[in-house]
Amino acid sequence: MLTIDTILDKEKLKDLYYHLVLTRTFDEETRKLFKQARFAGTYFSAVGQEATTVVPSFLLEKDDVVAPSHRELGANIGKGVPPKVIMAQIYARKTSPDKGKSHPCHYGYAPLNVITPASTVAGQIVLGTGAALGFRLLNKKNVVISFFGDGATSRGCFHEALNFAGVHKLPIVFLCQNNLWAESVPLKLQTALTDLSDRAKAYGFPGITIDGNDVMEVLKTSKEALDKARNGGGPTFIECKTYRWYGHSEIDPADYRPPEEVEYWKSRDPIPRFEQLLIEHKIITEEEKKAAYSKAKQDVDEAVAYAENSPFPQAEEALEDLYYEGE
Amino acid sequence: MHKVTYIEAITEALREEMERDDKLFMMGEDIGLYGGVFKATKGLQKQFGEMRVLDTPLSESLIAGASIGATLVGLKAVPEIQFADFITPAMDQIIQQAAKLRYRSGGSYRVPVVFRVCCGGGIGGGLYHSQSNEAWFVDQPGLKVVAPATPYDAKGLLKAAIRDNNPIIYFEHKKLYRSLKQDIPDDDYIVPIGKADRKLEGETLSIITYGLPVNYALEAAKELAKENIKVEVIDLRTLLPIDKDMILESVKKTGRALIVHEANKTGGVGGEIAAIIAEEAFDYLDAPVTRVAGPDVPAIPFSPPMEEFFMVSPKKIADAARKLAAY
Ligand SMILES: Cc1ncc(C[n+]2csc(CCOP(=O)(O)OP(=O)(O)O)c2C)c(N)n1
Repeated sequence: MLTIDTILDKEKLKDLYYHLVLTRTFDEETRKLFKQARFAGTYFSAVGQEATTVVPSFLLEKDDVVAPSHRELGANIGKGVPPKVIMAQIYARKTSPDKGKSHPCHYGYAPLNVITPASTVAGQIVLGTGAALGFRLLNKKNVVISFFGDGATSRGCFHEALNFAGVHKLPIVFLCQNNLWAESVPLKLQTALTDLSDRAKAYGFPGITIDGNDVMEVLKTSKEALDKARNGGGPTFIECKTYRWYGHSEIDPADYRPPEEVEYWKSRDPIPRFEQLLIEHKIITEEEKKAAYSKAKQDVDEAVAYAENSPFPQAEEALEDLYYEGE
Repeated sequence: MHKVTYIEAITEALREEMERDDKLFMMGEDIGLYGGVFKATKGLQKQFGEMRVLDTPLSESLIAGASIGATLVGLKAVPEIQFADFITPAMDQIIQQAAKLRYRSGGSYRVPVVFRVCCGGGIGGGLYHSQSNEAWFVDQPGLKVVAPATPYDAKGLLKAAIRDNNPIIYFEHKKLYRSLKQDIPDDDYIVPIGKADRKLEGETLSIITYGLPVNYALEAAKELAKENIKVEVIDLRTLLPIDKDMILESVKKTGRALIVHEANKTGGVGGEIAAIIAEEAFDYLDAPVTRVAGPDVPAIPFSPPMEEFFMVSPKKIADAARKLAAY
């Protein structure tokens, strides 16, 4: 009989649950910090999209590559990037991986093979494809996940990357977080398709549309796709239908969306759905659930303290890190 | 020593570096069995296999971006852009990804990619097979840009570029491919990036140039010598970073600067060189800094009389040099 712990054992499920709670807590706390003007720039919240980001990258190994975009806090946390590293990035401090050079939400972390993203939407899909080509050439059994939104699928380089990945059956999972909006542009003005996964047919590999707010479905689908990629079975396009609860960034009131739509998606919050399942199957208790939230809050507070106590870079450090100077 | 053409020098460099480093691979259109439209990669696929000399779809964004991505997991890449004219779709990846990845990751990623780009006119290529668009890249710190003028430099610079761990654009002038032969050493050698070369010593005036016109300047110099105008020819070889020291040293000695390039005058590299001289050697000048460059039209037109009109030539250089010497 198929049970909840067939895909991941109980301990792993608990761990995954914690990463989801941590991502949610981190995201909501960071929104508050932004409103208090504790860091500069803007912030791209992904509250509501935790399942589609945390789960697939939680399944990766250290040497596997994540090619994220701007809304992938969860993918970083899922991959194991320490919260304080991410917070230092948000605060543009010297201790952040980019030493304060990029955007608060352009989280990248070379020690865990998370490629620091650029702002050009969809560019990371091509880099991810190149990394998958690299694994093929190096005969390594590693895989890549490239994350992107529905808007990204309209760009030419998205097509070029998927076409090539199909030709060479590269070890990559293309994970589309279809949150129905690209900034203020609704899906129906982005594409004539209902399901973006239909596009995969044009590239010669499977495309699957799933409920991106169902942790178990994301888990099952991404596990299968990753295993397949790792074993030479080629790419998969996974479209996760999901939703961002807030604006495109924190400076966007998102009043272009009907309130009923927002309410509908909030009622499909991935985290309580997963919690309930874990409790029903006696994988966690009510007490453990509470403990997870308070530990997450503590971890985030520590990250904030770390970031706020970290120095800013010196102004002249703007002139550093242009070229690799070594042998 | 052995005699090679410019293109043979390039093929030798590629072959020797592929033999030296099994992490090196190349991708591009028609570069495999066919050996590239100009045959720069002739025989390489046979020697190194289909994956290390990889024929790609017609997909410049992919060629550039996947090359970059592959380097992020440990490879080195030498992609070919068949014609400089078609680099526009790849510019997104070159400028937004390659040039900035080290910077935006705070020095944690490096991008060892050499984009081999075939540029230049004079072979009846028309508007879209003749462009000299190096200036598009010369204002992109994070990249390095090289443009060899001779077989010796073509081989040595390509080898140096491949061994450098930064993204480099390597401009090959297609008119030079087969029009020039030179003795080069049998042993391994490199030509350092960032260092100009005094191709001819002289006292009357300095011609500062790169690529194909270096050879024209040397031809012009022979004529001018008969009239007792002794020109010094500085071949920049690298356009970014530019060898300011040699430019200034030469101009301080001769007091006269003639800058020559095939690309359009407006916005060209020549303007930058003129500014460097104006800023740092103004007191040494005996005459205005002068430019011989392509006229400001979109690209080299097709019909032979117009193409000839457009191109820089020994005569145009000699005429300008006479005027400058007489000033
Ligand atoms: C090439 C490019 N065009 C436009 C933008 C401005 N921009 C940033 S995010 C965004 C919307 C992206 O939508 P989507 O891909 O669906 O991702 P989401 O923000 O919903 O996660 C736009 C238009 C950009 N960063 N890059």
